Amino acid sequence: MRKLLVFLAVLFFAAYSWAQELSVDEIVSKANNASYYQGKEGRAKAKMVVTDAQGRKRERQLTILKLNLKAGGDQKYYVYFHKPNDVKGMSYIVWKHVGKDDDRWLYLPAMDLVRRIAASDKRSSFVGTTFLYEDISGRSIDLDEHELIASDPAYYTVKNTPKDAALVEFSYYTVKIDRNNFVPMRAEYFDKTGKPYRTIEALEVKDIQNYPTVTRMKAMDLNSNSDTVTEFSDISYNIGLNDSIFTERFLRNPPQQWLKE
Amino acid sequence: MKRIFFIGLSILFIFVSSAQAIELPEWHGFAEQAYGYRISHDTLTKHRDYNMLEQRLQLKTRYPIPGANIISQWNGVLTYKGDFLLDEYFDTTGSFDLRELNLAFSPTNIMDIKAGRQILTWGTGDYIFINDFFPKDYVSFYIGRDDEYLKEPSDALRVSLYPKMVNIDFVLIPDFTPNTMPDGDRLSFFDSFQGGIVGRDSRRNAVKPAFKAKNMQYALRLYRNFDSTEGALYYYRGFDPSPRSYLDEANLQLFYERLDAYGASLRGPFASGIGNVEMGYYRSRQDPNGDNRLIENSLLKLLVGYEKDMGNDLKIGLQYLYEQKLNYSDYRSALVTGDYCWDEYRHLLTQRVTKLFKNQTVMLGLFNFWSPSDKDGYLRASCAYDITDQWKLTFGVNIPWGEDMITDFGMMKKNKNAFVRLRYSF
Repeated sequence: MRKLLVFLAVLFFAAYSWAQELSVDEIVSKANNASYYQGKEGRAKAKMVVTDAQGRKRERQLTILKLNLKAGGDQKYYVYFHKPNDVKGMSYIVWKHVGKDDDRWLYLPAMDLVRRIAASDKRSSFVGTTFLYEDISGRSIDLDEHELIASDPAYYTVKNTPKDAALVEFSYYTVKIDRNNFVPMRAEYFDKTGKPYRTIEALEVKDIQNYPTVTRMKAMDLNSNSDTVTEFSDISYNIGLNDSIFTERFLRNPPQQWLKE
Repeated sequence: MKRIFFIGLSILFIFVSSAQAIELPEWHGFAEQAYGYRISHDTLTKHRDYNMLEQRLQLKTRYPIPGANIISQWNGVLTYKGDFLLDEYFDTTGSFDLRELNLAFSPTNIMDIKAGRQILTWGTGDYIFINDFFPKDYVSFYIGRDDEYLKEPSDALRVSLYPKMVNIDFVLIPDFTPNTMPDGDRLSFFDSFQGGIVGRDSRRNAVKPAFKAKNMQYALRLYRNFDSTEGALYYYRGFDPSPRSYLDEANLQLFYERLDAYGASLRGPFASGIGNVEMGYYRSRQDPNGDNRLIENSLLKLLVGYEKDMGNDLKIGLQYLYEQKLNYSDYRSALVTGDYCWDEYRHLLTQRVTKLFKNQTVMLGLFNFWSPSDKDGYLRASCAYDITDQWKLTFGVNIPWGEDMITDFGMMKKNKNAFVRLRYSF
């Protein structure tokens, strides 16, 4: 009798949770974690190729070190520039804060100068590419209202409308999220007239140390007809980075062991 | 002493590189052609139409020390940066400027050491240095060379410590390097011995402190973060890096008076931008009471700054600098007939505007100094275009002006120029 009760209870809970579709906030939160908070910390090399409307190419190469202080919350980034040659050796630290302006420092080795960067505009270009700062370090999910507009066997599609439209250049954007691993596969931004003007697409997703990871992505600016393809390589998670890397000490003396070419 | 140091460094380099199969380091740098046209012709200087015409080749490399020696275990890295310069202003056959040659290593978890020729900078000002007494090249600044050349290298030992409570930077500079100031050949300036703006006819000279233990310079910085705000304390014992005092009036000799400086700064988020405050107290050790008319008095300096990101790749920066000559009445009463009398106060305002265009490949920059008390100023404007990842074209203007000829910018008023630089980076 007791066994039967237990069995019924288990069956009931299983049926309940199966019928329960994830709420849109849970989907967005999982997608945010899948894109920006994998692992405790990690490292990747990024090669970014910018192609303008005339087909001219520019290339940036950088190493990114990242530390998650809290899932979905504050993070620290260390960026070291390998290319182009005129910025080679520069390093950059971001303390990303949710709910207030980030702290950013740039080190110019030629002058031994640590410059504090005023950076309230997260929707400016990241190092001259088609990607914006928010695409690289993530847009706080609290800044938008989220609405599940489609759900098919492969993808969730979420529409995100900014709570304060005056702060951004888009009126809304949609994101297609892989149901299996919550990796956002394609984002499309619409301008104030409702016309799509920029897209970001995951071109390749690989499993790295059991973390589904985007290894190739493309941002397109439909107005200027330019795009940037970013390829991530040498990705590794949980390598033992600690808080001290993200300080002026290592800004001035880049941590060689993590920056090998 | 200096020579011994570099020979030692070279031997070390040869020793560690021969111990191993050498992995050749990568070389980078740039080649640059630069020309500066005088907007206001100046007959006092060597050339009346231009003040810069030069070709430069910079080569730099970093070499992590290999092998199983102690320096390698301490993550030792040798850095080299040198410029070959063909300076056609002086018709030279070419010169070499060693900008960096140093060995950096970390003997413990909380200690970094950098020994050798290096660039040193600290403090919170933008083109204004209160607690940074490391040498600067104001000639490069006024003729439109890259910002990199505003800072001159020092032959120094830098020891940095990172215990839990506070970070410590200690710099020891055995031999004094003064600022490079206009001396008349390239840039005209105010010479108090001649009572006017002079060029090549200036006969004054500045006497450097001798190289001896008593004349070593020490600079100390203690700093830490309080959340997002950075706080720092500074101490310096050495010499005024610009020659402001008179050694021997009859022989037209100036000198670099002894100086102690105490300072503090704060920098952090403020009113949706970045705010900074920095102060410095300069104690003139050879004229502590301010009653020697030949030696610069003690000074107080206070700087307040603010920078804001306006969006769309537009940034603005504002600064206010207050300077006060201390013991002013003692200074005034010590003056004799014929002496120039310098003001007690100086107020200086600066404005910076930076705007990026075309996917950040075009940068328009404007920096303006304006002193209401000195009635002078200095406008620096430039436009830099990254033609490709390798080629960069920069042009700009340097416009110092002033009502008087004895003030910092006023004395430079004949040196207005427009410059162009074309650089290939590799």
